[in-house]
Amino acid sequence: MIVDQIIAASLTLTTPILLAAMGGLVNRQGGIVNIALDAKMLAGAFVAVIVSSATDGWFIAVLAAAIAGALIGYLYSLVITRANANMIVAGLGLNVLVAGMIGFVLNWVYDSSGTLRLPDVQRLPKFLPEFMYDIPVVGLALSELEPLTVFAWITVLVLPFLLANTRIGLWIRATGNAPQVARAMGISGRNVQDFSTAFAGFFSGLGGAHLALASIGLFNEGLTAGRGFIALAAFYFGRDRPIATALVCLLFGFLDATQIRMQTAGLPPKLIGTIPYLMVLVALCIAGWRNHRRKAVSS
Amino acid sequence: MEVQNAAHRDANQVSVRLGAEELSKRYGNIEANRDVSIAVAPGEIHAIVGENGAGKSTLMRMLQGIEQPDSGRIIVDDQIVSLSGPQRAFALGIGMVHQEFMLAPDLTLLENLVLGDEPVYRAFGAASRINWPAALESGERLAREAAAHVDWSRTVLTTPVHIQQFVEIIRLLRRGTRILILDEPTAVLAPQQVEDLFDLLRKLREDGTTILFISHKLKEVMALADRVTVIRRGEVRYSSPVAETDTDTIAGHMVGGLDTPVATARPTSASKIETDDVVLDVQMLTTPIVEKSHPLRGVDLHIGRGEIVGLAGVSGNGQNELVECLVGLRDSDGGTVSLAGQDITHLSNQHRRALGIGYVSADRRHEGLALQASVEANVIAGSQRKAPVSKGGFFDRKAMRQVAEKRLAFVDVRYGVLNDAAGDLSGGNQQRLVFAREIAADPSLLIVSQPTRGVDLVGIAAIHAILSDFRNSGGSVLLVSEELDEILALSDRILVMADGKIVGEMNAAEADIGTIGKLMVMQGGGDG
Repeated sequence: MIVDQIIAASLTLTTPILLAAMGGLVNRQGGIVNIALDAKMLAGAFVAVIVSSATDGWFIAVLAAAIAGALIGYLYSLVITRANANMIVAGLGLNVLVAGMIGFVLNWVYDSSGTLRLPDVQRLPKFLPEFMYDIPVVGLALSELEPLTVFAWITVLVLPFLLANTRIGLWIRATGNAPQVARAMGISGRNVQDFSTAFAGFFSGLGGAHLALASIGLFNEGLTAGRGFIALAAFYFGRDRPIATALVCLLFGFLDATQIRMQTAGLPPKLIGTIPYLMVLVALCIAGWRNHRRKAVSS
Repeated sequence: MEVQNAAHRDANQVSVRLGAEELSKRYGNIEANRDVSIAVAPGEIHAIVGENGAGKSTLMRMLQGIEQPDSGRIIVDDQIVSLSGPQRAFALGIGMVHQEFMLAPDLTLLENLVLGDEPVYRAFGAASRINWPAALESGERLAREAAAHVDWSRTVLTTPVHIQQFVEIIRLLRRGTRILILDEPTAVLAPQQVEDLFDLLRKLREDGTTILFISHKLKEVMALADRVTVIRRGEVRYSSPVAETDTDTIAGHMVGGLDTPVATARPTSASKIETDDVVLDVQMLTTPIVEKSHPLRGVDLHIGRGEIVGLAGVSGNGQNELVECLVGLRDSDGGTVSLAGQDITHLSNQHRRALGIGYVSADRRHEGLALQASVEANVIAGSQRKAPVSKGGFFDRKAMRQVAEKRLAFVDVRYGVLNDAAGDLSGGNQQRLVFAREIAADPSLLIVSQPTRGVDLVGIAAIHAILSDFRNSGGSVLLVSEELDEILALSDRILVMADGKIVGEMNAAEADIGTIGKLMVMQGGGDG
């Protein structure tokens, strides 16, 4: 059934964007617009495939991917908060740098150009009991459910609580909103920003691990296909609020799923493939226009 | 509050809660503070008064550890202390409420109250869960003690400014501030809110808090403070218990040139000017009450042809608002402004300029000049659409350069090359550059605000010469200045502004500094 398939594919395609967007929105609430989410997703995917193959364990692979993302995020943050680099320029640079490094390692260590196929890559397990697969409409989606998707949606629900009710949550919001006030109140804005950027890297790494290990079990240089930027658009449009952002991610995931189906229906694939990205542009225009109007009203 | 009780207990043993001994601070050639000594007793409200630029802010920054003094000592609780930074001052119990509040606009008042010192359920470092009910409880208790009502769930952005100020003050008390420094706290408040603030401060004094209150509104000083210290040109000129002094004496020391109380003198009205010659006529001009500004309460004035009219007043009494109304940068809600008989009350700034008003802003760095643009662009700005600078929609670069050079030479601006950034010039030359541009349009009226602020002596003389020449060639000038010497030196006629109204008028020949000083602090005549 086509509805079942679209629901299942939407959910799966949403997860990597959702994970990166959750990290990115925390980062942006802390005052850093992280345009290097894509680099961290790519690094996460790469590390996930290697570790999964080497250890035979999906969990350790996912964890390694997240830590790799967090590490890159932390270094990126140091460049911004300690060396005062421009966050956009440094982010662009990081995207290029990480892609280049991975290409180099692929070529040098694995003697491959673009794709890394390793033996015994453990994919994310499907963990629901089989009788649930027969539930109408959502059965297919349930049969493909894996831990990272569940984790992503739990994060969506827990994150608003953490941001509102923990000290670090308050510090992140204060630092992003009024850094000089946070500093005057004895909060080290730089440490808070470093943490939030590492947090974004951690979640982007998870997103990358999902891309690599959810179904295909291999790494490809073009694997992220700009999903880090789609995540960026999602939390811009969702105004950094977890639940609104998650709904936008779901919309992008749905568009991605339908465009794949439309390609198989015989429409020009390259053209249809641009739909999600086109929608990102539209979403950003709407977000910009909305902000503009809000400012006009308040002043 | 525990901390205040503690402060109360040892109040008897300490004679100086906060003091300065011979503090000096230089910035380049400017001596911001010279041998400044003050002593604030425990539980005292001590007012520091002085005009803008007198050195009050520098003193406060040193007492708060933001700036280090070049020489001198700072005393806390009779002990010499070294305030290496604001955190050190804070730890000693010194807290300051700045004019710009330290509140995060998108956070709620409660979040701002506890930020950096949050009550938690169980200590777990940064990941601790904040105990919001306890936070709310402490906020409510502080508000109740001060008899104030605060909606803690509102964001700062949607909160009225007097509540923001209240939150700022009690946040400091919550963190153990015993010495509260307030920088012109009433500048942003409406009259009733000022009363509420004073009630709060009196109550804090009873509880043992020591308060340093910076102001230039003498009425407030008399109403609130126990002791007053006058700073003028970086030095302490006068200090007295408030009960043993009066506003005339304090004003005399503020504006300078006086060691004795001023004699009472009636302002004389200026000689009649023929109506034909009136260039600017303002009648009953009023502005709405807007936060962070002083409303005009019915301003009447006229300026004749070939006349410099000086507008004196303690800063913050509506002078800036009047200037902005006259040049079309602020809306009035009553009264009329006429230029040479034509009603211009509702015209735009651009339109008014076209009709012959030139404007030298007090804020040279933002309104007067584009500091990063070239000298040439700055002096041409405003004329770029007209010939000879513009030819068929394009700039004639050669003509532009010639016009720029002519204008700059006219008032003798010293610059390297035309492409230099305006910000590279000295303060005096920047201001001359502004005059070069404004005079080039051949205005009938120049509105000039604080023309010599931050300008050295040579520059001051040059700017005064420009203004005199302009007047002698038939131009009219409204000169707004906090420098009484400047007003006396240049004006043909002097108006005094207080509390949003013109409260006195006299011919320059008959004016003396004492009379003006007295009028300046009258605060709107009868209702003060």
